[in-house]
Amino acid sequence: MTSVIADAVADGTLSGRVWFYSNYHCNLACTYCLTESAPEVPKRLLSDAAMRTAATQAAALGFTDLGITGGEPFLAPGIVDTLDALTDTLPTLVLSNGTRFTEALVRRMSRLAGRDLAVQVSLDSPDPEMNDAMRGPENFARVVDAIPRLVDAGVRVRIATTATALDPDAAARLCELHRGLGVADADHVVRPIVSRGRGIDHDDAVGVSPENLPPELTITADGAFWSPFGPTVRNGRLDTDLLVTRTTNPLRMPAEELLGLVAGRPPGGDTTMNIR
Amino acid sequence: MGRVPLLRAEDAPLLARPFYVDGDPGPIVAVLAHVPELLVVALPFFGRVLGESAVDARTKEIVILRASAVAQCRYCVDAHTLVALDAGLTAEEVRVLRDDAPLAGAFAERERALVAWVDAVAGERGPVAESTAVALRSWFADHEVVELTLLAATTLLLNRLCTALELPSVDATLERLRDCGFGS
Repeated sequence: MTSVIADAVADGTLSGRVWFYSNYHCNLACTYCLTESAPEVPKRLLSDAAMRTAATQAAALGFTDLGITGGEPFLAPGIVDTLDALTDTLPTLVLSNGTRFTEALVRRMSRLAGRDLAVQVSLDSPDPEMNDAMRGPENFARVVDAIPRLVDAGVRVRIATTATALDPDAAARLCELHRGLGVADADHVVRPIVSRGRGIDHDDAVGVSPENLPPELTITADGAFWSPFGPTVRNGRLDTDLLVTRTTNPLRMPAEELLGLVAGRPPGGDTTMNIR
Repeated sequence: MGRVPLLRAEDAPLLARPFYVDGDPGPIVAVLAHVPELLVVALPFFGRVLGESAVDARTKEIVILRASAVAQCRYCVDAHTLVALDAGLTAEEVRVLRDDAPLAGAFAERERALVAWVDAVAGERGPVAESTAVALRSWFADHEVVELTLLAATTLLLNRLCTALELPSVDATLERLRDCGFGS
């Protein structure tokens, strides 16, 4: 691999993961959602073909991983087939609210068992009431029901907890819970609420900017962004402050523009906020 | 107030941010910022073609203002009325170029040939009449003909962009136009 992108990924200048926003709609409307996702919002779908094309180009450029987020990716048409294709190209992480895994969907997912695929499910508290207050009624019950069935189907599951401050007792009980669901400690991530989208309304949300966000090329139906925390929505309007280019195909263009922006960032500005 | 919103500094995409560091960059930047990868190549191009060059500022403003008037671009006529005055054109000459006063009798032969060339480039389809080209080339060198024609063509590009997207004239421009006797 000889591209400047491959070199930048190899030396850590750029994240190796390329993110896709498969869609913006969601069956939930979480209180801290970056994209104000909900059932009736514009879907802003990134097509299966667009994701396959971008994945192939990402691999050729030297990126090492793919991530899919939204919205709820499992509302995107043909998402299992898309995952099938993407995992043939690069290791893939797909974020999910974990509430869509009917028996039929889990059966379809089981054909991806053994692939380099992880489904990252959101679970914010070991207490159903606290979790559901942020994520919606019956969310906790649906998630703890779905995770073991996915694990049993051979799908690797990660758990993501969104909380700016998690008290030690709650953290301990949450870890006990995820271990019981078949999810190892290494597959549990905790990240803060970010002050974008509906997160702005949370007092404990953290602000983000190119100075404290790792550069992770993020492809959406509206263009390419600095990070998956870039293409957020506030009051129904897409934020453009972290937009890199409107052009996403060929992927080389936004990748090289992103690399140029990173090169112009003040030294030492990179941080790890654990908010991937 | 425009067909698309002008991006404010807080909404400026990353590649567009350098254009905002000195404050409001004006409507053309603020609208092109929607497509930052085009902004970053278009602005230096516009700056090079419309800015200081081997051709003097007065001559270039004759081209820009006349092309804008022929294309009926309100935004560009407003802005370049002031730039033309700053470049040394008289108020009467500016009125002629804006088509607010008759062309007959205005300008010396060299500049009349240029105005005729711009009228043909901006206002007609197909080849420019041989007599118009011969008149221009009797006063301007080959490289000047090329530069002035590219200037007219680039102005037309901006004219159509500003007109189609209905860019609003800047308040300070409108105020100064009134002070100079060009207010509506």
